Amino acid sequence: MYTYTDFDKHFVRQRAAQYRDQLDRHLAGRLPDDEFRALRLQNGWYVQRHAPMLRVAVPYGELSATQLRGLARIARDYDRGYAHFTTRQNLQYNWIPLDKSAEVMDQLAAVDMHGIQTSGNCIRNITSDCFAGIAPDESVDPRPYGEIMRQWSTLHPEFAFLPRKFKIAVTGASEDRAAIGWHDIGLHLVKNEAGEIGFKVLVGGGMGRTPVIGTVFREFLPWQQILVFIEAVVRVYNRYGRRDNIYKARIKILVKAEGQRFVDDVNAEFKDILERDVDGTAHIIPQSEFDRVNASFVIPAGVAARPSTGIPMPADLPASYGRWIQRNVHAHKLSGYRAVTLSLKRTGQAPGDITDAQMELAADLADRYSHGELRVSHDQNLVLPWVLESDLPALWEAARSASFATPNIGLLTDMIACPGGDFCALANARSIPLAAEITERYQDLDELWDIGDIDLHISGCINSCGHHHSGHIGILGVDKDGAEWYQLTLGGSDGSAISGGPLAGKVIGPSFAADEAADAIEAVIDTYLSQRQGSERFIDTVKRVGLDPFKAATNAVRRTTARELPADTASASASASASAD
Amino acid sequence: MRFIHTPQDPWRTVHGDDGPMVTITPKPNLLLTWLQWHSVCHHWPAGVPVGVILENDQDVRDVEADLPRLGLIALRFPKWVDGRAYSQAHLLRSRYRFQGEIRALGEVLVDMLPLLQRTGFDAVVLRADQSREAAERALTFFPGFYQGDVQEHRPRFARPANDSSDGATGYLNAGASI
Repeated sequence: MYTYTDFDKHFVRQRAAQYRDQLDRHLAGRLPDDEFRALRLQNGWYVQRHAPMLRVAVPYGELSATQLRGLARIARDYDRGYAHFTTRQNLQYNWIPLDKSAEVMDQLAAVDMHGIQTSGNCIRNITSDCFAGIAPDESVDPRPYGEIMRQWSTLHPEFAFLPRKFKIAVTGASEDRAAIGWHDIGLHLVKNEAGEIGFKVLVGGGMGRTPVIGTVFREFLPWQQILVFIEAVVRVYNRYGRRDNIYKARIKILVKAEGQRFVDDVNAEFKDILERDVDGTAHIIPQSEFDRVNASFVIPAGVAARPSTGIPMPADLPASYGRWIQRNVHAHKLSGYRAVTLSLKRTGQAPGDITDAQMELAADLADRYSHGELRVSHDQNLVLPWVLESDLPALWEAARSASFATPNIGLLTDMIACPGGDFCALANARSIPLAAEITERYQDLDELWDIGDIDLHISGCINSCGHHHSGHIGILGVDKDGAEWYQLTLGGSDGSAISGGPLAGKVIGPSFAADEAADAIEAVIDTYLSQRQGSERFIDTVKRVGLDPFKAATNAVRRTTARELPADTASASASASASAD
Repeated sequence: MRFIHTPQDPWRTVHGDDGPMVTITPKPNLLLTWLQWHSVCHHWPAGVPVGVILENDQDVRDVEADLPRLGLIALRFPKWVDGRAYSQAHLLRSRYRFQGEIRALGEVLVDMLPLLQRTGFDAVVLRADQSREAAERALTFFPGFYQGDVQEHRPRFARPANDSSDGATGYLNAGASI
């Protein structure tokens, strides 16, 4: 993984010092709340229900065992002994007092970490495929490009106060595990017929109130030009993006409203930078810089393809080992190696949550089995990227005793969920109790396996941190008269091969009351099981039979909301409820 | 970075009783709105210093032809978190080679100073309650940056490895921590 230079180390330390200066002025009453707010946000500090929340950047999801131990120490010494991995591969703390925040920034800097641009209306942490550099379906490793873009976007002076947040995701594999269509800029590294590397560039994707899939701006942009192209996109956005309405301020609205005119403006700006600006080509990435950064992303010393002996299947291990192999162990580009997901989806803990002790255990597993390296997945799990096939039985034993071995990756209980109303000041409803209720109901592994591949995504509000739009089943928390309600969507896709092209799910019926939501999910699952043909996946059944059977089944479990339904609701006409909320 | 103390500043705006549209007699160091400038630019005598104030939704392309005649361009921050003027300043310097003063007006806070300096501003009128000392300190934290800017066009990767324009290595070697 990327090795910090002296400059990089000094830079994050000075960022911490700058933050301390701002905090001191704030605590001394010289920097009022609303002005300190924008500054602390750009270092990852929100103020939540109970205390400030800190979001720590995990660039493109790559993490060392040493860093994870540093994060564990912060959870233990400054928080209440746990933290939460997010869908954008970051880590969040919930209970750190604000007057300790500068100290925590120093602690992060000590392990080459920071909260720079993890919030605020700026270019956020760049996310990627959690199997970057190890996936067999990958043609170009996105990590060095991600690192070069991270450095370029860090403290960019022109783009710190954009109309709204700006998110970039990059992948280099044929399977999209980074949901690039849902990002402000989505980048897909590809090789052309001549074998040259370039980016397919999508612009203007996003979730929130108006889900939009990004538009292809370039089919093949030579990789050397990517920083200039992003600069052109962001400059046009900074100039024309709406600032009068927070819900219309993302670039997706501008791309939709302006259409070809926006594309033309970006292309003209790109040309002007290169042809007219002083040193306009200075940000063309030279091969030497790529090579310098790429040197950090070589295969770890001691790792080399070896003849595969197959996955060991010792007869004395229980069936759950076999299940773990099937769900939590993934193909690798190197023969003899596998990637292993440590599941952070289990009863008793919220999706993506991890205690300080579990962080230490995961760091130990990474040291012992994965050359000290881990990844954070978009689905809020941890991944060990360099595991020898022959180590799998021992790793399974160790992961199981650390509660990381639930064999549920890609299944219903491997759900994405935001922290919701238990923590988040923005949320309309809680996510965690509903996630817990669903997890409790689907504890039977046979049943879970029978249901098969399915993406369940839960967001506590329309900000969509839990990516409800892209779930095969999406749950959105809504507030009506101060009570928690849940809107259900079906058929969404993050853009993965199983799910089909990226697509926002469709709403089925009026929102469900809090005491109906889990029943409604169960009704959706039961409908799938009764309707599916052969080994058809959930998403394919939804596509084939449409929403009506699901509407009828979920309406049948309504109690609190039964009287709100129109009289002919059982027939569930396709247009009945799309605008229910 | 110059900190403008308004009473000693030679530049004067022009206000009429009924708003900004008044008869303007050319004299040195008038700071005009874009509309005012347009009402007088055709007969403004060469050699009489003049400046304009641009709102942050103004397209700086429209100003390009006038730049050789302008000594000062003041860019306004109606809210400090509205970052459009950074792009305006960047374009004025990098694309249109404007050599005169670029001044930040409006809600200008001390923590904006590093951004202002790097996008091409060379003068600021701080909001009245702001501390000049804190503003000057805000410019000292980072000895260098990754991306290029108006002051140093080259990003870090395009500069020689032993470039002295950032002192990180020496600073670390000197044993300093935070």
